[in-house]
Amino acid sequence: MLDLQSLGIGGGSVAMFGMLLVLLLTGMPLAFVTILVALIFALGWFGPMAVPIVTTRVYSFIMQYVFVSIPMFVLMASILDRSGIARDLFDAMRLVGGRIRGRVGVQTLLVAVVLAAMSGIIGGEIVLLGLLALPQMLRLGYDRRLAIGIVCAGGALGTMIPPSIVLIIYGLSASVSIAELFTASFLPGLLLAALYATYVLAIGYFRPEMAPIPTQQEQMPFADKLKLLKGLFLPLLVVVFVLGSIYGGIASVTEASAIGVVGVILSTVLRGEFSMKMMLDASMQTLRTCGMIVWIGIGATALIGVYNLMGGINFIKELLLGVSDTPIVIILVMMLILAVLGMFLDWVGIALLTIPIFAPIVKELGYDPVWFGVLFALNMQISFLSPPFGPAAFYLKSVAPPDISLGTIFRSLLPFIALQAVALVLVLLFPSLALWYR
Amino acid sequence: QDTYNLKFQSSDTSGTAAFEVQQDWAKHVGELSDGRITVEMLPVGSIVEYNETLDAVGAGILDGHITDSSYFTGKDAAFALIGNPVGAYSSPEELRAFFNDGGGTELYNEILAPYGVHFIGPAAQTAEAIPSKVPIDSVEDFKGVKMRAPEGMVQSAFAAAGASPVNLPQSEVFTSLDKGVISAADATTLATNDSMGLHDVAKHPIWPGFHSLPLNEVSITKATWDGMPDDLKEVLTQSVKDYAEDLATRIRARDEEVAEKLRAQGDVTIHTWSEEEKKKFRQIAQEQWQPYGERSENAQKVYEKLTTYLKSAGLL
Amino acid sequence: MAGPAGNARRIGMASGDNPREEVRDEANDTLSRLLIPLAPVFAAAFLLITAFTFYEVVMRYVFNAPTIWVHETTTALTALCFAFGGAYCLGTNRHIRVVLIYDSVSQRVRRLLDVAISLVGAAACALMAWAAWNFAYKAFFTPTGQMHLETSGSAWNPPTPAIVKAVLFLILCVMCIQFLLQAIAHLRRKPTDENRSPEQELGDA
Ligand code: NA
Ligand code: NA
Repeated sequence: MLDLQSLGIGGGSVAMFGMLLVLLLTGMPLAFVTILVALIFALGWFGPMAVPIVTTRVYSFIMQYVFVSIPMFVLMASILDRSGIARDLFDAMRLVGGRIRGRVGVQTLLVAVVLAAMSGIIGGEIVLLGLLALPQMLRLGYDRRLAIGIVCAGGALGTMIPPSIVLIIYGLSASVSIAELFTASFLPGLLLAALYATYVLAIGYFRPEMAPIPTQQEQMPFADKLKLLKGLFLPLLVVVFVLGSIYGGIASVTEASAIGVVGVILSTVLRGEFSMKMMLDASMQTLRTCGMIVWIGIGATALIGVYNLMGGINFIKELLLGVSDTPIVIILVMMLILAVLGMFLDWVGIALLTIPIFAPIVKELGYDPVWFGVLFALNMQISFLSPPFGPAAFYLKSVAPPDISLGTIFRSLLPFIALQAVALVLVLLFPSLALWYR
Repeated sequence: QDTYNLKFQSSDTSGTAAFEVQQDWAKHVGELSDGRITVEMLPVGSIVEYNETLDAVGAGILDGHITDSSYFTGKDAAFALIGNPVGAYSSPEELRAFFNDGGGTELYNEILAPYGVHFIGPAAQTAEAIPSKVPIDSVEDFKGVKMRAPEGMVQSAFAAAGASPVNLPQSEVFTSLDKGVISAADATTLATNDSMGLHDVAKHPIWPGFHSLPLNEVSITKATWDGMPDDLKEVLTQSVKDYAEDLATRIRARDEEVAEKLRAQGDVTIHTWSEEEKKKFRQIAQEQWQPYGERSENAQKVYEKLTTYLKSAGLL
Repeated sequence: MAGPAGNARRIGMASGDNPREEVRDEANDTLSRLLIPLAPVFAAAFLLITAFTFYEVVMRYVFNAPTIWVHETTTALTALCFAFGGAYCLGTNRHIRVVLIYDSVSQRVRRLLDVAISLVGAAACALMAWAAWNFAYKAFFTPTGQMHLETSGSAWNPPTPAIVKAVLFLILCVMCIQFLLQAIAHLRRKPTDENRSPEQELGDA
């Protein structure tokens, strides 16, 4: 039996990341890479008695109630995509914004912000935008990379703009008011969206060929405009349903996703598009997409369980406290650790590993844990996009046209990661961006 | 001389006061044993999920856990009755008395032995408060109130009292209270509720609590315990007694501090129930015990031991 | 995995003015072929999950009578679908992989890589299935040997933990066999045979 314990926890951590990276590159399905590393370390560090950690965590992971909303958001997206609703929505958006270059991109971001206010997870949103907005932008001749970036970055806003499962988990594990976290993250969330929009408009201005203007609707008769406007009605009604049910106290955030699906199904009935075949087709796509994205998350939680048992918690704590006496340097090192972990792990795993370590230290150093919660959420935004383990890219890949490779997606995300870093630095330098309400 | 490096997982999250007390216990064990035992306290979910620690401790993956025993009700109804017999106790001292003087510890060890787990001793926080959006001052007021109540007997008790229990995970309590999906919640102690911001959205907390006072059990892998020299067993037992004292004192002080703050704040009204109404609720709650007792042999044993003790102590 | 038996092919694309055409899943191996007719059953469960959740909201908000069963039923159904979805994606080449290096090596090396990945995957699944066996066993029998299905412990108290743990064990066994069958198929494949990564395979459909 190989004895990994002799590496020590420092060497073990390095070996773990190295192994993740190498296995990722062999072409092994991602879902099994993290599981395999978790198993190797469970066996090699502790022996066969530790293997049940992996299975137990797989079970606990899939049995989480909040995950019920993932298939429902994917289902909503699949039905919208199969009906004519989505196309009509984007057609109707033509009426807003005139002839500014990058308009459709900005409109997509607008839709993303509305979707973000409706849901607390990512995944579903990126799938939705990937099915709806991406083909529309490609059809208009948008630069592929720009379109992909808009969809992934915009779709990831779901955990930055409240409600947000990332902030809820942070609040619960750090014992911080979730209400304050929601209030605090709202402005940075919008700031992020504004940065994306500014970037799209700037591209439209300086590189017009990357964001063409639609040609067909030069002089539209009023009657046609009215017809287009009708396309806005049903989707807006669904949005009102979902947001109304959340903010009107009718449904919990998870339950609201069912309201959305029912609203979309009713819309297809009203439009005369409803069929059992369409429902089943949409469900099949939901099964495929969920099977893929959930198994990717499974590996990260298994790996964290094993790493914690190896003594990962104490190791990271000592690493942090030993690095410097200057408080802000410790915060910066935390950001660095989050960024590195974000390259290899799912956010659930990162939250489980780091929040119990970071939150008490942040409080001890005299910083505001609400502000740090917003920084954490911003870091997770980066982690969704950063390669080689970027869930946003995987979600998009599951629905994008097949000729768009993962490599293309990740290259497209780089400018948006830079924008996220800008937002992160801004909130680091000006805590009042998060704590404005005080 | 053998030394022990033990990993304990808590059912509390890292930011809570209870977890701080547990970390202090870990240090205390080190001091009491002159470094022969070191305990690493891990927060909830770090190795396995909160409702899987019993198996993990039994299998030796974890060396021990500090947890609410009623999380294992699905394995045997006895865990519900020993872990959180709703309405049985009104203070941590009353709870510990059942284990120390009423034979609770011996019985629980008998139940745990086949799982490969040894129960070192009981602890408890204060009775849980109820954050509420609406004023609730009597059993009557519970009628039709949508309230979050998750596992087991607590849920049955509230249903019997006339409330409409809604099944929601802890992670959705805040948003659901905020938006009014539910009006009240079975959450945790007043101070912890406050630190989660629950009183920003539910301004009529019921406190001091009376419905739920869960056992906070400290247990260890049986094989490890059995192999330990007697003096170290003595050290662990004593340290758990100290932990129980410490936990009750510190949580109570925090609760009182937060209550004072809320009173001074003005926009939150603390609802304190009359003894008479509390008794009414306890009676309803206690009617839930028997059906649980009938679910398994072990549960029946707990039911008998508990009711015998409470009667003899004049609490029933 | 770039399977030997063929891949899911997307016929047409959702872009442009054509209505979307459906994806047709093709199985990698004999066992996976058996999963294909099962998939619509699990997929339809998502519609049930939606209906149940909607029912709960209506019952609670309109009739002030929240159910005791929706929350646990939907959670367990979702878990079962997630578990099955993993095996289904494995059987139809839907799992995402990074093909940066895979695409740049020769067919011979690719075949070796495929065999190695399949065997390692089978070993990992076998190990997990072994652990899941004990895990599921404990959910069906008390430590004293009596049969007792582990329940959720709620007021409703359904045996969902026992069911999901048992299904998880079965799924892990299925995945182990899928990987083994794929390893055999890759071994039988002539080293010189064209075998492209799924991206390209999908792209020219
Ligand atoms: Na959101
Ligand atoms: Na990443």
